[in-house]
Amino acid sequence: MRRLAIPARPDWRDKANASGFDFHTIDGVPYWDESAYYAFTLRQIEDDLEAPTGELHAMAMDLVDEVVNSEQHLRTLAIPEAFWDWIAQSWRERQPHLYGRMDLAYDGFGPAKLYELNYDTPTSLFEAAFFQWQWLEDRLHTGHLPANADQYNSIYESLVEAFGTVATQIRRPFVLAALRESDEDQGTVAYLRDCAMQAGVECSLLDIEDIGVTADGRYTDMQDRVIGALFKLYPLEDLFVEDFGKYLPRSGIQLIEPAWKAILSNKGILPLLWQKHPEHPNLLPAFFDDGSRLPAGWVRKPVFSREGANIAMHLPDGEQVSTPGPYTAGPYIRQAWHPLPAFGDHHPLIGSWVVGDRACGIGIREDQSLVTQDSARFVPHAIVEDTRGVLMA
Amino acid sequence: MKRSRTAALLLMSATPLLLTACQGDEDLTREGLFTSVDSCAAQTGDRATCQQAFDKSQAEAAKDAPQFASREECAKNYDWDRCAEQKDSGGHSFFGPMMAGFFISQMMRNGSPMAGFNSGPAWRNSAGAWQRPDPGTGGASGVYSGSRAGAKMVPVTATPDRAMTVTRGGFGSSFGSRSAGG
Repeated sequence: MRRLAIPARPDWRDKANASGFDFHTIDGVPYWDESAYYAFTLRQIEDDLEAPTGELHAMAMDLVDEVVNSEQHLRTLAIPEAFWDWIAQSWRERQPHLYGRMDLAYDGFGPAKLYELNYDTPTSLFEAAFFQWQWLEDRLHTGHLPANADQYNSIYESLVEAFGTVATQIRRPFVLAALRESDEDQGTVAYLRDCAMQAGVECSLLDIEDIGVTADGRYTDMQDRVIGALFKLYPLEDLFVEDFGKYLPRSGIQLIEPAWKAILSNKGILPLLWQKHPEHPNLLPAFFDDGSRLPAGWVRKPVFSREGANIAMHLPDGEQVSTPGPYTAGPYIRQAWHPLPAFGDHHPLIGSWVVGDRACGIGIREDQSLVTQDSARFVPHAIVEDTRGVLMA
Repeated sequence: MKRSRTAALLLMSATPLLLTACQGDEDLTREGLFTSVDSCAAQTGDRATCQQAFDKSQAEAAKDAPQFASREECAKNYDWDRCAEQKDSGGHSFFGPMMAGFFISQMMRNGSPMAGFNSGPAWRNSAGAWQRPDPGTGGASGVYSGSRAGAKMVPVTATPDRAMTVTRGGFGSSFGSRSAGG
């Protein structure tokens, strides 16, 4: 695994705009960055990333069954009691799920370590599935990459296939919703809708804020149609506590990601995994936080948080680092400190995608700091066989 | 090969289709029309509101009903057995159709619901068409306009006993302008 400089395509912005990728620059700060790429060997991809992703996914899914049937676990994960039965039922019915992303720390050598699962509202999907793919094709075409270069990225094909597979299980009308003002979230649901339509699944887009409720507690779209299935790019734990949340269990709506994902989108899954699979090479030691002083060599994370917010780190050398954020409610976990690798000033975090239960690709976000936050940049990757001396500069 | 053979875009490409219908600036009204408190409660699960709307409509029915000098006159437009002698709020007798249902309506302004509801009585003529007093001539506005012999009735567009959206905006408050995904 190496970080290599490469000329950016002169027209990449036009290509981004032409494909609806309008958040390549966020608040004036570049987000998409193709001035470099990460090069992996096929062995690194298959042995160190793909296989562990599949295994970790199976371990996580295995835990859902345990947790939904345990009041104690549900309480520990701070899932409101009013939703327990509904969540359990969604699992009993095996309501279909689509995708998830796990974040891995990996430097090209030792085993990749699981930082966390983003199994409810993962973003950076379009960048990984489409734009990164297009970058590779373009750079192959112009000879900037070796002719046999490849990419670990069948995310798009997996999405279309997954939609096709669950098509008959998705209630209609099928609506995809995201926050009105978030370009990134809107871009993500627009891409998912694109994939759904390609799989022959008719669906429409809606702003989360526009979801309506009938007097009998069913959810409606702007045409007053009762929503059959709702893909919501919005955290389950927030839906639970907002004004319309109380209607969820009796509304008859089908959520995608389904209600049972509340267990996997919760960082409490990390100590539970460690408990069940102690010393697993891809897991970091993790425990529920008891509120005591954080010892050196540990990281504290809220069970509910996104984008690296509200993380407190006590480095082995005694330095304390913390990130701000809004996620102050709810319990915390602590996880053993395991720094991201450094490639120069860059700290890449590997987002490993699972679509329809299959590990199918990665997207890399790198940050100048040790905590990957929403300021991170997306950098493409390629699989390049390590034949010394033949590589492009 | 570890990557997709292709990565086509259907709707997101350079010339996207119009994905969302434009919300015009015109004000819209969402309505539910119910034939009984029971059917309203069954549809909406909110018996208290249904009862309130029914009582209010019942109280307004005599005031807003089309008025006729005789039962025969009334029966030219309405079913004979629904035409009855009634008294308006001033105590004057007239013949008019009995209320056949009530509606609950919610005003929309630029696609956003406004607070509160309107409700009022609705009648069915002998052709089975639902109607209510023209809001422009009193009726739902609650202005008593004296004699209503020629009360103008307007069709009710709602399908009877259909549930309706009562409010929007109960999701999405946790994030301000930030992204919700991660």
